[in-house]
Amino acid sequence: MSGAWIIFRREIGQYFASPIAYLIGFAVLLITGILFYSDLNYAATTRPAEPSLIPSFLAFAMIFCAPLLTMRMLAEESREGTLELLLTAPVNDSAIVIGKFLSAWFFYTVLLGLTFIYQFILLAITQPDLGHAICAYIGIWLYGGATLAVGILFSAMTENQIVAAFLSMGVLLFLWLAELVGQIVTNLDIALVIRQLTLQGHFTSSFAVGLVRAEDVAYYGGLMVIMLFMAIRVVESHRWR
Amino acid sequence: MIDVQNLTKRYGSHLAVDHISFAAEAGEIVGLLGPNGAGKTSTMRMLTGFMPPSEGTAKIAGFDVMTDSIEVRKRVGYLPEHVPVYPDMTVKGYVTFWAKLRGVSNPRARVAAALEQVQLTDRQNMLVRNLSKGLKQRLGLAQAVVHDPQVVILDEPTIGIDPQQVIEGRESVRRLGEKHTVLFSTHILSEAEQVCDRVLIIQKGRIVAQGAPATLRQQLQPGAHLYVEIGGADGQTAHSLLTQINGVESVQAQGDGYSVRARPGADIRAAVSQTVMGAGLALLEFRPVAMTLEDIFLDIVGREGGA
Repeated sequence: MSGAWIIFRREIGQYFASPIAYLIGFAVLLITGILFYSDLNYAATTRPAEPSLIPSFLAFAMIFCAPLLTMRMLAEESREGTLELLLTAPVNDSAIVIGKFLSAWFFYTVLLGLTFIYQFILLAITQPDLGHAICAYIGIWLYGGATLAVGILFSAMTENQIVAAFLSMGVLLFLWLAELVGQIVTNLDIALVIRQLTLQGHFTSSFAVGLVRAEDVAYYGGLMVIMLFMAIRVVESHRWR
Repeated sequence: MIDVQNLTKRYGSHLAVDHISFAAEAGEIVGLLGPNGAGKTSTMRMLTGFMPPSEGTAKIAGFDVMTDSIEVRKRVGYLPEHVPVYPDMTVKGYVTFWAKLRGVSNPRARVAAALEQVQLTDRQNMLVRNLSKGLKQRLGLAQAVVHDPQVVILDEPTIGIDPQQVIEGRESVRRLGEKHTVLFSTHILSEAEQVCDRVLIIQKGRIVAQGAPATLRQQLQPGAHLYVEIGGADGQTAHSLLTQINGVESVQAQGDGYSVRARPGADIRAAVSQTVMGAGLALLEFRPVAMTLEDIFLDIVGREGGA
């Protein structure tokens, strides 16, 4: 697995050297800051602070951020020709994909960690429901990993970063909006099945309300495994073209 | 060091490499020579473990490219035609990355040595994006030798760089031959002639000729191509005299004399001199024309094309 580690390290260096990562970080912190401020205003007068405020926002934001964070990863390698060198280096194809995925997830984790500062602010002025918040953070951490895995898959599929970003946004948006389809279907069984397949279905009614359920962890974990498996196969297919 | 048997690559119904076999000894510089689309890159990609052969086997240092791909990749350094770079890395960072990925045990020392070898030490902290094309080529070479591979495979390493750098590039390929087995492709004939110990001429996926540049030249037998200048005869007489000689394929006026080509296998030297003398004419100049690799190449490729 040392190949994955070396690729992970390079990608991390790449993230912290690229403007897009900082821009996304800036935007996320700015928007979550504003959200937190307005929530704090409510909390001062009408109701307690919402523990899953930031995670719930990120559940939406990741639909757009995950593709931006991952679009470069394999598309650029393919375009620049470095993929050919990677594929002739003594590492497994899976190490290439996993190394890249873990670096994206790591960067996202750092970003998520930065938003945890709001919990410390709350701790300083009141008694927030920390258990609920941590639960929501665990959920959005897994949720983010799954969206990033989708991004990696589409980055592997094309040489064009923009195409990769739009394709993964489309799929993520579909996985996100399918929740609405579930709500308008009258047949209860079908509605439940649809809900079980969506990104939101495993977040809003479980992690976001302070529940950690095995089925939700399995859903996001499974999504990551499937997406990465497919991405590895796509990378491998470069050998057969 | 390299052992290729019946190697074949098909893309759908297109046969890119057609049952080629060759071998290369340790320390040998082998040139793959052929026009664009002849199958050079496909051959190299199969040897680097990038893509599997459709048929046949290829072994590098005794390891099969299919079954021991990882072992092969550890022993091969590869520079593709378009030097693949990460523009946002420094020169040193780039070479270090490849060194580590290929499991070099002392990356620091090896990177320094590789950069020294391609004379990029003084630019090691530059960003790759700021390097000129020739320097990128050298960087690509550094990447290919950083893990001290037994075999170095270079795909058209001298394309698109200025003449001075081309000469330096050839020099560095020659130097590589001191420590590594080198397989390099080119479609520039004089280059293959200058650099290689042995040349494989590839056309339409098949090896149509192989040997040392000098041997290849000799393969077209002595007397195959002569330059003859005759004194005391007008053009018409001399031309018909030469054409009548048994074994002569063609006679062409060239300057003051004639370029005489023999049929394959025929030694016409004695016949030409005897005929000219016998007719009471003076033989002013009589010399074999050394064929350049270029002639041989055009000859072979032309024949293949016609067939």
